[in-house]
Amino acid sequence: MPSPLDLADLPFLREALVELLLLAITGGVLGTWVVLRRLAFFSHAAGSATFPGLVVADASGISPILAGMAVALGYAGGVQRTGRGGREHGEGTALLLVALLAIGVILASDVFESGAAVDRLLFGTILGLGGADLAVSAAVAAIATVAAVALGRTWSAVGFDPDGAEALGLPAGRADMLLLGLVAVAAVAAIPAVGALLVTAVYVLPAAAARMLTGSVRGLVACALALALAEGATGLYLAYWLDVPPGPPVAVLGALVCLVATVLTRPSTV
Amino acid sequence: MSGAAVAVEGAAAAYDGAPVLTDVSFSVAPGQSVCVLGPNGGGKTTLFRLLLGELEPVTGTLELSGRPAYVAQTERTRLDFPVTALDVAVMGTLARGRWWLPPSKSDRGAARRALERVGLGELASVRFGELSGGQRQRALLARALVQDARVLLLDEPLSGVDPASAALITALFRELGAEGRTLLVASHDVESARSFDLVLCLNGRQVAFGPPAATLDRTTLQATYGHELIVLEGGGGAVTIHHHEHGHEH
Repeated sequence: MPSPLDLADLPFLREALVELLLLAITGGVLGTWVVLRRLAFFSHAAGSATFPGLVVADASGISPILAGMAVALGYAGGVQRTGRGGREHGEGTALLLVALLAIGVILASDVFESGAAVDRLLFGTILGLGGADLAVSAAVAAIATVAAVALGRTWSAVGFDPDGAEALGLPAGRADMLLLGLVAVAAVAAIPAVGALLVTAVYVLPAAAARMLTGSVRGLVACALALALAEGATGLYLAYWLDVPPGPPVAVLGALVCLVATVLTRPSTV
Repeated sequence: MSGAAVAVEGAAAAYDGAPVLTDVSFSVAPGQSVCVLGPNGGGKTTLFRLLLGELEPVTGTLELSGRPAYVAQTERTRLDFPVTALDVAVMGTLARGRWWLPPSKSDRGAARRALERVGLGELASVRFGELSGGQRQRALLARALVQDARVLLLDEPLSGVDPASAALITALFRELGAEGRTLLVASHDVESARSFDLVLCLNGRQVAFGPPAATLDRTTLQATYGHELIVLEGGGGAVTIHHHEHGHEH
């Protein structure tokens, strides 16, 4: 069993740890709103929807993060148009995801014949995380934190009562658009480390567990942040020990914590 | 607008080009209360959306003294949302602008006073979803009171409310009127409409507007409700049959 101190001592692990901790900050503050606004499916879909962008980036040599963000923001804009003022976005999320995945599959198999690099982007890696990845994750964490502080009251009012929030004169539509855009950008920022298919592990599972353990928005943010940090660090250590990408251990840990929270908070039937 | 709190002249509304409300003209003085009667799809919520500025009138004009406060039906709120009665009341301060700042001490003070006024002072820290139906309605009313608006629009505030809450809300309506605030209350209850200063009957168009005694006759109610109206012989009363159609009432 390797020493947990390797996470701090070995440069590539240290970078991966910093990356996961930055994602955990985003996951804590933004994940709260992902769960409260019922955007779990969207956050998962936003990562997967970048598939055509990642294929094009792989084949053309442009930055996969930039290509992924362009597709993800376009996807968020499309989804936002299918819902208004806090209403559900489920159908639009699914419809546009299927369209983008289909385009991605055609591009990957028939146009660019893409291969291993795309697999890595779908499932993540702890190798090869560079300064650019860390910079993107740090920027996203900072923007998500500032946005959550400034817009938290508006997101709360819209999520609680969309009709009432509009009547309060709040910029409900723009706040919604910003939330979807932020979730999409955050999903792309998580791709290098956990992969497009396991974005949910960082942005949904910690907040979903926290939702069961706390009774206020502030408590939820604090608890989600703590769980995301703990699951990120522990998941990375397990990935290093088991020699697997970090996404799967982080996801399994998150799911286990959710399961425990569900059992602990299940109302007694006696 | 000649001193009126609400003045509507020849207003009409449409969704996707299809007219849903036409020929609406009425004027309400400060301190007056109006019961807006009509069947589901009759145009009550559409009228409120026009007054709130959420819907542009196809024709006509609407003038109000300031931004109105709105109390939606409690069914539209998320009961699982982690907010307390105080949190809900504090949301009313968002109408003052400065939505990017945390609530100030005075914002919280105003919210607490509004909760006291609706009889929920003791329940300020209780989760909204754990309140009774009547208490939830009063919490939403507190959110509207915090806005300190001159005009309040209330969408069926007494629907499904326990008698104690209904009595408290009705008494509050009188207090608000005495303060010079104007109330427009959408309702299905023809009998309770008689306690308002004015009645506005809608059924895709304005059927009637005036004091209850002069307005609520059998002909007007028949034109307003059609098949949904049952007139109780002998006592002269009338009741309506209404179906709750969540999310798509005009």
